[in-house]
Amino acid sequence: MAQPTPCFHCGEPVPAGAPWHAQILGERRVMCCPGCLAVAEAICGAGLDSYYQHRTERSANPEAMPRVLQEELELYDRDDVQQRYVQNNQSNTDQPQIQLLIEGINCAACCWLIERHLRAQPGVVEASLNMGNQRLNLSWQAGKTRLSTLIASLRSIGYTAHPYEPDKAGEQIAAENRRYLRRLGLAGLMFMQVMMATMALYEEFDQDLTESMAHLLRWASLLMTTPVVFYSCAPFFQGAWRDLKNRRLSMDVSVSLAIGGAYLAGIWATVTGTGEIYFDSVTMFAFFLLAGRYLERRARQRTVESTARLVNLLPPSAVRIQPDGSSLRIMLDELQSGDTVEVKPGESIPADGRILRGNSSVDESALSGEYLPIAKRAGDAVTAGTLNVEGPLQVEITALGEHTRLSAIVRLLERAQSDKPRLAQLADQVAQYFLLAVLLSVAVVGTSWWWLSDLHTAFWIVIAMLVATCPCALSLATPTALTTATGSLHKLGMLITRGHVLEGINKVTTVILDKTGTLTEGRMTLEQIQPFAEHDAEQALHWARMLESSSEHPIARAFGRSLLSASALENTPGQGLQGDCEGQIVRIGKPDFVSALGDYPAPPYPNAPGQWLLLGNAAGPIAWFALNDRLRGDAAAMVAALQARKLRVVLLSGDQSPVVQRMAAQLNISEAIGNADPDQKLAYVQAQQARGEKVLMLGDGVNDVPVLASADISVAMGNASDLAKTNADAVLLNSRLLTLVDSLQVAKRTRAIMIENLGWASLYNLAILPLAALGMVTPAWAALGMSASSLLVVLNALRLTRVKSGAPEATTSPAVEVQA
Amino acid sequence: MTVLYILVPIAILLVVIAIWIFNWAVNNGQYDDLDSPAHSILFDEDDPAHLAAQRQHNDAKSKDKTPDDGSA
Repeated sequence: MAQPTPCFHCGEPVPAGAPWHAQILGERRVMCCPGCLAVAEAICGAGLDSYYQHRTERSANPEAMPRVLQEELELYDRDDVQQRYVQNNQSNTDQPQIQLLIEGINCAACCWLIERHLRAQPGVVEASLNMGNQRLNLSWQAGKTRLSTLIASLRSIGYTAHPYEPDKAGEQIAAENRRYLRRLGLAGLMFMQVMMATMALYEEFDQDLTESMAHLLRWASLLMTTPVVFYSCAPFFQGAWRDLKNRRLSMDVSVSLAIGGAYLAGIWATVTGTGEIYFDSVTMFAFFLLAGRYLERRARQRTVESTARLVNLLPPSAVRIQPDGSSLRIMLDELQSGDTVEVKPGESIPADGRILRGNSSVDESALSGEYLPIAKRAGDAVTAGTLNVEGPLQVEITALGEHTRLSAIVRLLERAQSDKPRLAQLADQVAQYFLLAVLLSVAVVGTSWWWLSDLHTAFWIVIAMLVATCPCALSLATPTALTTATGSLHKLGMLITRGHVLEGINKVTTVILDKTGTLTEGRMTLEQIQPFAEHDAEQALHWARMLESSSEHPIARAFGRSLLSASALENTPGQGLQGDCEGQIVRIGKPDFVSALGDYPAPPYPNAPGQWLLLGNAAGPIAWFALNDRLRGDAAAMVAALQARKLRVVLLSGDQSPVVQRMAAQLNISEAIGNADPDQKLAYVQAQQARGEKVLMLGDGVNDVPVLASADISVAMGNASDLAKTNADAVLLNSRLLTLVDSLQVAKRTRAIMIENLGWASLYNLAILPLAALGMVTPAWAALGMSASSLLVVLNALRLTRVKSGAPEATTSPAVEVQA
Repeated sequence: MTVLYILVPIAILLVVIAIWIFNWAVNNGQYDDLDSPAHSILFDEDDPAHLAAQRQHNDAKSKDKTPDDGSA
């Protein structure tokens, strides 16, 4: 089979002879579907072609966007609905402002495209998109355009937008980031000024200052250091106080001691006009440290926003059937228990309930991990957040909001998070010994000087020692290494969202894998065609495609696109499809359903794994199609690589046991547990942890979320549900399993560099300690030593930027197998 | 050297002004997004083809007055 051309817009394969093409960037480009073509035409029509020139990632396929109806969008124009989201501009009430959360942003070009496109719309006053948190600030003129029009125009270029209700957690993070930056800026600007003033005081430079001039410079630097100590260094003191209360010695204690000691001694020296001042070292220290911590924080926070995106699983509105039989679209929070709602195919079910009328199948993959839709009919229970696939349903609401199964999973998640064991941090472990050593030697040396000389000399020796042993390089040793490694891993496709991952991943003993969507692709693919005698596989596939081409069912997608579709289509939910293909009535689906067409006995299922569908006409069966959720190409390679590292690999799935066992055998995994619901999964992981295992969990669905939260290290797949992604410690952005193996490698190197850094930093402090004890370290040497040792540590950490993906690329998936 | 009695206070004043400006910028969200501006410079907004298409687009818009909302 020849490699199909990828769609110019989204990269999916283009079916042979597809009529969708457009002239973009001076060449004829083919597209895979009308959706892509429409988006590409909208983009080019607005003159934004250079998006295609600059994008670094393929665009998202517009058909993957959740379907939104125009009337649903228009709900956002209602005043009472807007009130929740819109901030009215005080000075100009005609210009409402809103924050929209945008889905589908892949690269910087998307940002540009969205901003340009919106600014070209009539009535838009301002549109600015923050790529970090994917939020768009939009303000428009109330009389000239409507919010629903703007959201629809975003859809036309392939992006979904939701009004975003600012929440407490998100605001706190933003405020904290700004506070960090203000602290850093203050320390940086002051540090330079203080350095200028104190340099004149260095005796090495021999400036021959008059006494009053020296006095002025001392006071000036004291004045400038004070805000740095009290404002910029506040987090260190708070951290130190917290740790001391918990009877722990940490890096913060060490830092606070050095800063506090040098600052107090500096005040004394300034007021009395005797002794040395170390204000330059204090401010430099504060600046380096804050910079290190800020960068580490920023590296992790690229996309993480601990906002509850759970609401996204639920539709923003629902159609309520009024007592008089008419239907009315209302917002989700207007819905009440006991109401009857109508759910069309392709819509999410808004609340837990019971089906009153209708036959359909429901895709519960988000909650249970089961990738095949489950057939439902009147009387069956349905769950909030699941997707109605086939036919319209009327559902009586039984539970809302807090009481739904979805919320129960979230509560389980919160419990798991609070039980999560903490991993000790390398830097704090070292800091303990370091601090004890410094305090001990300072006490010994100080007392000796007091005894040999006088209190005054002893005091200045102690201060010199505290400044000289100031753990600047030591406290930069780990943040710099972690920051660089986080950046390199991001390039490889693994996004680290919590700080303990890089250190903790080295300690992992057990890797627990989820099946659906993690080891497998999480969608149906056509694996095999078995035509019956005198039928042709190509012809059978052609008919099957014609029948399935207009269906939304995940099974239909597996057949690929067809340019022709069958006429007179009839859908029997849970059974199959019937249609007129090139003059023949053909059915596809369950064997009983197909054989009923021609009154012949249903052939028995072939004896092979997978989901089998029969295609047949009135004369008899034509072909069997085997569909399966295929293993990812690199799953076996990953399992082998993990096992080669002496890690225990366990397969833990909510799927039926035989399927799970078979897959485990295929991947050479000796331990496999099937039929596990979220509670049991959580219990299993906690039992392993109680036995002393350190667990890494790789998963994707909402049902994995509590387990992800309780594992020592949790990694979510890039195509995982938002809830899983926001609660995981790391995300595999490219969904390439071997990246996990790469990151184990990077983590190992990071740890090696961190230990090297800690070694060098301690060595420097050890070397300078005797000199300080002998009173030979003047402020100039202290400042020089501190910056040189910090530079060394930073440069060493930068070696982590040179990281290559060690494992081979994932193999391409095999083509459909035809068995005659 | 007595000029330093004036210059040092001026230096302090300047750094205070600098810090005030920095804080103002931080509080106005100038540093909230440090990633996209680095990329947006790559786009040529004065590209003649782009400008022409935009004009055309706007003309078409104002003519038929029904914004193309293109919802599926």
